Amino acid sequence: MKRLENNPFLVIIVLITSFLLLNSCGGVPEEKVKEGEMANNAFSVEEVLEMVAEENDVTRTLYTKAIVGKGKLQGMKFDEDWRKDDVEAGPLPALFLRGVATSIRKSPVPLGLYLGSDFPVNAANKFEGKQAELFAKIKEDQKPQFFYEEDTKLHTAMFADLASAAACVTCHNKHPQTTKDDWKLGDVMGATTWQYPKDSLTYKETVDVLNSYAKGTVDIYVEYLNEIAAFKESEKPTIGNKWPEEGNYLPTSEVFLDSVKKLTSYKTMKKLVAVRD
Amino acid sequence: MFKISPLRKRQFTGGIIGVLIGVCAILFFTLKSSEEYISLGPMNEGHDDMSCVTCHADAKGNLSQQIQSNIQFAIGIRESNVDFGTQDVSVDNCLQCHDRPNDRHPNHRFSEPRFKEIIKKIDATTCITCHSEHNGERVTIASVNYCMNCHQDLKVEDDPIDVAHETLIAEEQWNTCIQCHDFHGNHRYEVPVKLKDTIPMRVINNYFKGGEDPYGTDKKYIGLSEPEWIKLHLQKE
Repeated sequence: MKRLENNPFLVIIVLITSFLLLNSCGGVPEEKVKEGEMANNAFSVEEVLEMVAEENDVTRTLYTKAIVGKGKLQGMKFDEDWRKDDVEAGPLPALFLRGVATSIRKSPVPLGLYLGSDFPVNAANKFEGKQAELFAKIKEDQKPQFFYEEDTKLHTAMFADLASAAACVTCHNKHPQTTKDDWKLGDVMGATTWQYPKDSLTYKETVDVLNSYAKGTVDIYVEYLNEIAAFKESEKPTIGNKWPEEGNYLPTSEVFLDSVKKLTSYKTMKKLVAVRD
Repeated sequence: MFKISPLRKRQFTGGIIGVLIGVCAILFFTLKSSEEYISLGPMNEGHDDMSCVTCHADAKGNLSQQIQSNIQFAIGIRESNVDFGTQDVSVDNCLQCHDRPNDRHPNHRFSEPRFKEIIKKIDATTCITCHSEHNGERVTIASVNYCMNCHQDLKVEDDPIDVAHETLIAEEQWNTCIQCHDFHGNHRYEVPVKLKDTIPMRVINNYFKGGEDPYGTDKKYIGLSEPEWIKLHLQKE
């Protein structure tokens, strides 16, 4: 009997059978983006990160001024240990942002968000290496800085985090572990760092990024409201349509998010629908 | 019609026996009761009752599709390869049961560029650096001096302990961190203020090997059991 490799007919049969067996089911479907969608609606990662960073600025300022600043005047407490069982308080603005970042991390959107400074209250948040270098530039001109992280293959952007409310300045200056006690309104207190794995995003991916940020704000705000619901000794503010400036009130998460959207939607919308050449 | 050469009869019988043994092996090893035989080692503490599929979900497509897709990828007519057999296990699998809002050291924080050099020494972006599965233990990292990678400059305001944190750091007594603080901050317990009252390393090592929890049983969050995980992550899909 002839060996297999000496029998061309058998070799062809084996090859055709293998080919048919391998192709009979078709491959695992690839998750490809439609070409038209990519060509017409793509945003650069820089544009998208600028959009979401602006939303973050508005959200953080609103939380810091209208919730923390005005809330403190009503006797509400905000603490870095707000999650501890024996502490009845809400999250400070930096921890509010960390809560947003944690929620984003849990979503399917591959967006990273971090907060740091050259004079952080918590030493673990001090910038080092490339971030420290770029933060020095941000402090000079307050312009965003973009770079590509070769090791992690992530597109990275840093945006100035300003002392936008009196509460930022007073809390940081008075904090027992502060490394700087002469902050002034308008100072660049730190920077947010954002990361995304692709250099351009489709329209859908862009909206997903914006939505994941919005969901993050709702998630951490709801956690705060749940914390209040579990207060045993402190007076609980009434949760509804009113804000702390009117008394011992807090807005619901829907009211809070609506206010953020009112403040940001026009600017974001203009970028999303801008005609591209 | 189908005649076997007497010279090939032995090979043919052997082939048939081989196929039968193969089919029986596939049937046996795919039974749930056989999971322990194909596991790489004993499950870590707390994971004893879990099925393989809890972490090792089936990859997309059938075996033929996966082979075809990977061949296509190898010869350059497909953009991405696909998982073969089961999906890769990632941090997300761990977090589906162990995610805690108050984790003192959440994985995702270490993805930030400023931890780039540190994660070369200890990759805190992934759970398996300390909790390598299939070892029948709880914590598998070789040395407990990992705090030194980030906390060299630690200063504690109104330090409550009899030997100051700064002294312990200066003397490089990095073992002492874990003798007071659990890494993830998931226990409610009184932290000792005298070094002599801290948890002995012998007890900590026993805990790492899967023994009794020296930080106490009052935990803030308990990981999901397999039925809870199924209810939360599979039934809603």
